[in-house]
Amino acid sequence: MPRRAVSLFFAALILPALALAQATLEGRVTLPKAITAPVVNQRYEIVSKAGVVATNPPLAVVFLAGDFPKSATVPVTRLVQKDLAFVPALLPIRTGTKVEFPNLDEQFHNIFSYSPAKRFDLGRYRPDEKPVPSQTFDVAGLVTLRCDIHEHMRGAILVLDTPHFVMTDAAGNFRLTGLPPGRYTLKAWLDSKTTRERVVELRDGATLRVDFPVSP
Amino acid sequence: MTPLRPLSLALAFLAAVLAARGATGEFFERLESALTVSSADAFFRARASGTLDLEAYRLPSPAPALLDTTRDTFINPRLSLYLDSHLGPRAYFFAQARLDRGFDAGDGSAHLRLDEYALRLAPWRGTRASFQLGKFATLVGSWVNRHGSWENPFITAPLPYEHLTGMWDNEPPRSVNQLLLWSHVRPGLFPALTAEEKLFRLPLIWGPAYGTGAAASAAFGRFIVAAEVKNSALSSRPDSWGPGADGHRYPTLSSRLAWSPNAMWHVGLSASTGQYLLPVARPLIPAGVGLGDYRQRLLAADVGFAWHHWQLWAEFFRTRFALPRLGDATTDAAYVEAKYRFTPHFSAALRLNRQTFGTLADGPRGLVRWGGDVWRYDVAPAWRLSPHLQLKLQASWQHEASVQPEHTRTLSSQFTLRF
Repeated sequence: MPRRAVSLFFAALILPALALAQATLEGRVTLPKAITAPVVNQRYEIVSKAGVVATNPPLAVVFLAGDFPKSATVPVTRLVQKDLAFVPALLPIRTGTKVEFPNLDEQFHNIFSYSPAKRFDLGRYRPDEKPVPSQTFDVAGLVTLRCDIHEHMRGAILVLDTPHFVMTDAAGNFRLTGLPPGRYTLKAWLDSKTTRERVVELRDGATLRVDFPVSP
Repeated sequence: MTPLRPLSLALAFLAAVLAARGATGEFFERLESALTVSSADAFFRARASGTLDLEAYRLPSPAPALLDTTRDTFINPRLSLYLDSHLGPRAYFFAQARLDRGFDAGDGSAHLRLDEYALRLAPWRGTRASFQLGKFATLVGSWVNRHGSWENPFITAPLPYEHLTGMWDNEPPRSVNQLLLWSHVRPGLFPALTAEEKLFRLPLIWGPAYGTGAAASAAFGRFIVAAEVKNSALSSRPDSWGPGADGHRYPTLSSRLAWSPNAMWHVGLSASTGQYLLPVARPLIPAGVGLGDYRQRLLAADVGFAWHHWQLWAEFFRTRFALPRLGDATTDAAYVEAKYRFTPHFSAALRLNRQTFGTLADGPRGLVRWGGDVWRYDVAPAWRLSPHLQLKLQASWQHEASVQPEHTRTLSSQFTLRF
């Protein structure tokens, strides 16, 4: 018994130290110009809920590429449809994640994807649909989402083989914490054709700053 | 515009399809961005879009419905261009132009035509009421919402929107016997004339009926009430739809009440009344009455249902044409349409169509039906090859109780490129 108490005492001392030893990455990604707002086709909806569709600011996903252990549990996250738009418009997830697609509008949506990483068609589903329509994403890659009813709706899920990823803010700033020390490739995904990358050396407890300026 | 040869349009279509097959999704994203303009605050937005269709038909003789060709194999390319623009939350303008071989495809050359243009205003903040002015599709019924080639599960319209009756708009029948000749219920027309008089015949509703006029609508909870005043009756031909057409002197009034208890169900009731005879028919009507006394009156009911991969629609129409000296000629038409999506790329649709005709007093012969009852079955598998390419096939079997009971079969295919 006294030996176990001693072990716990030392563990309590060491674990915070280990946590502190994890590395942090921060920096800024230079984002492209804002995209134009979508135009909603209302030709044959003579009574339609009017509104100005907000412009989604371009964002980037920054992630640490490497060989990381698989998650023991199935992560679950949500990508909602609200005001005839995907929220968020871009969702990064880890492979094996289950994504629910709740409909928060008063009308049907019909989400589908023809992307090689995941082909699916959820069919038409109501706002109060139970269970909430969902899909599990097992293959890394970009999944482009559309709605069969609302042509202007566009969304994307970026499926990544890493647990270490983060979305930038609208100014392009990012911060990744709790990273294991070592040599990795840090990538900044801006769109399906633009991924910038840098090799980084992460040290215990250190914070490394990495910026992704516009490519030459 | 200089007429284009159909073959050149078809070749252009094939080139575009081949290019689209090789193009990635990013190509269409870039194209969409190039065709979209927006102010910095998104208050003003406008987008041009379109579809490029190539249709091929294997036809019986004479060609069914509104197709105007003497060929048994028929190719119909069509370019449709759309403009959608918003000025804030309360002003919306849309337009549709087509380059094709006629609104109802025929053997002629291709021409550019402006089919729709309308301005919609929703003047009051916090309410769901709007006014619309221009040349636009009728609010009667529910098929208009899916009449575009990309949205329509079939290649052709439902029977009530394209089946030609014995009713003419340039001349009223002088007798029941003449109406029965025009309806092909009784023999007597020369075979050559049978093909020619197709140009005079009217369906119950002519396609989406892009007449010119104004509409008002409002939503109250789950109910929508709408009304329109237009320059042409629902059965009127496309030549009568334009603002400058030498068409109808008396306006056509139409209204619709729709109820949607939830997102799955839609129920609607529509009514319309309008002058269907053209001014050229005036000398042929009795003295002391006007063309406005001879109207097409229509009542319609529709229901729609959707759940997961199922979509179902049904519409029922009762129409009455007032005829000089002969009384009222009635006809009922209905269809039920179902679509099921089997996979993200493959779906199939089935439609049952029916039209029956009422009776008129034909002297000593008693009551006779003024048209041949029709059954039509349509089957259409469809493949969405990508978000921008679609292939549909359709087989239709029709039975019509005409002079000689006719069983006809029509095969068609439609390749659509959407941008």
